[in-house]
Amino acid sequence: MGEVALNGLSKRYPGGSDLAVKEVTLTVADGEFMVLLGPSGCGKSSVLRMIAGLEPITAGTVSIDGKVINKVPAKDRDIAMVFQSYALYPHMDVFNNLAFGLRRRSVPRGEIERRVNATAAKLGLAPFLKRKPHALSGGQRQRVALGRAIVREPKVFLFDEPLSNLDAALRVTTRNELIRQQYDIGITTIYVTHDQVEAMTMGHRICIMDKGEVVQIGPPLAVYRDPVNTFVARFLGNPPMNLMRVALETDVGGLRLRLGKTAVPAEPWPADRLGTLGSGALLGIRPEDLYEASPRPGDDSVLPLPATVAAVEPLGAETLLVLTLDGIEEEVIARSGRETRLRPGERATIMLDSAAAQLFDATTKRAIARTPV
Amino acid sequence: MIGPGYQWLAHLRRSPLLLFVLLYTALSGGPFLWVAVMSLRTTPEIFASPYALPSHLHWEKFADAWTRSNYSTYFWNSTIVVVTAVVLLTVIGAMVAHCLARYHFRGNRVARFVILSGLILPPQLLILSLFQILLEFSLYNTLTGLILVYVAGHLAMTVYILEGFFAQIPQDLFDAARLDGYSDLEIFWRITLPIGAPALFTTVTLNFIILWNEFLYAVVLLTEDDKRTLPLGIMHFMGSHQLDIGMLATGLMIAIAPIILLYGFFSETMIKGMTAGAVR
Repeated sequence: MGEVALNGLSKRYPGGSDLAVKEVTLTVADGEFMVLLGPSGCGKSSVLRMIAGLEPITAGTVSIDGKVINKVPAKDRDIAMVFQSYALYPHMDVFNNLAFGLRRRSVPRGEIERRVNATAAKLGLAPFLKRKPHALSGGQRQRVALGRAIVREPKVFLFDEPLSNLDAALRVTTRNELIRQQYDIGITTIYVTHDQVEAMTMGHRICIMDKGEVVQIGPPLAVYRDPVNTFVARFLGNPPMNLMRVALETDVGGLRLRLGKTAVPAEPWPADRLGTLGSGALLGIRPEDLYEASPRPGDDSVLPLPATVAAVEPLGAETLLVLTLDGIEEEVIARSGRETRLRPGERATIMLDSAAAQLFDATTKRAIARTPV
Repeated sequence: MIGPGYQWLAHLRRSPLLLFVLLYTALSGGPFLWVAVMSLRTTPEIFASPYALPSHLHWEKFADAWTRSNYSTYFWNSTIVVVTAVVLLTVIGAMVAHCLARYHFRGNRVARFVILSGLILPPQLLILSLFQILLEFSLYNTLTGLILVYVAGHLAMTVYILEGFFAQIPQDLFDAARLDGYSDLEIFWRITLPIGAPALFTTVTLNFIILWNEFLYAVVLLTEDDKRTLPLGIMHFMGSHQLDIGMLATGLMIAIAPIILLYGFFSETMIKGMTAGAVR
């Protein structure tokens, strides 16, 4: 068992006037893989360090399996952590790095050898057990750091940006390795990253943080599809969601959202909520919901937008189009197939899938929920 | 690319540097060699021809110095005082340096300032007050008193060197050890000390060399002959009206033998420890 619950967790660093972490409340279920995602300085690592017991808690509680552990020293929390720098003991070989934590817990020598060898075999480290960390590659060091956590068989794993020191190719393979290991072992995992690809691919749920606060928690695709505010909308997705200012207008067909020269139907959102939008709204649309192809006949939600191509960015698998929509100042980005023939300066008609669009209050930046169907 | 024909040019460019190194070696190594040669010659031989090589090697002078001049006692006293002081300095200095480098406690900066201010105080300034303190605590003319003075006097330099090194050990290592279940003292013992070994060797070697040769405190704080350390023992060969320069040279060679051995074993580690801060 290893359910981790944070209740109103806050942190103020000595000399700091503001809270670095503000009343974070979340529960990570036993065996769950939770990713804390946010920009640098958003407080996600502070949360992790408070869970680990490496940082004093200013307010709130951390519980494991219902037991508050605020006063329990780090060494007695039964938590293993993988650090960004790996933190391998440079004076010990791989075997001793793996065995160090077990020795302190008075595990019998034979059992230590069995567990270290089993972990090394699982992670492909068996040939390197006698090597010191300086004689290992970055990927091997990362696996030793992971092995040091696994061999302890703790209640909770904590990962603090463990892949950020690896090169791009190694990061992908190690990421898959981590997902597989967590799936096999099934230990509750809290993983801190600022890399949205890691968050989307690894977590059962993502907790997005900004300025010390939890902004949104949910399964990766749910958070991607329904961001609660413009911060999440822009932070998740690469390229990020396009946000375009729209004005509300009423015509014979009812409420409309005026996007340049195009009128977007406003039926998906509650009319009474739209009526409260004083300074207008922001229409959010993901680049993959703007495309070149013609709509299927009868697909009323797809609207044509006249535009001028500002730039074409071929990425190999796909091509990004930077567009200036008629009557709109902001440039938007659309995903297109790799075979696009559009060139900068050309006119184009881009299709907008309004069924996938999000609407945000321009003042509060919060999403406006759609009317339940 | 320089062809083989131009290699002499490269050698020529390096020659001023080579000349400087040779000159420096002659200046520093020359006197040492001279004393080494004199240690194997008798005083009349030396007065007859100061710079000559020995015509006959008088190895028996070493045995004479050891037995007839109470050198064994001085050597033993020096060993007790210096080894004890160096052990205490290393243990206490490492603990202090670990605390200053690792923990952010209230008064951290004041404590550091007070400890390191010992670096700027010349020994001549302290000697009168130390003399008085040792008298009051009945430690005057005892090896224990001299050990305590040495520890107090060299703690600042020891902490200064070790703290600089310990502060560079990444905090993540300590956090990892805490999560592995280790207490603060165990972390000091199992992480700080092994990783800080190059810096520890540096302080051990430096303190050993400095204290082994220390004269001022020893000459003021020890008066009885059987309490004297080696640097005082050498004075035996220097009377007010005569100078037994041959035996003086032999005594000096005995005195510096442990230093040469220590430096020979640890010079590389010591240089590594002293330059560790520069390369990061």
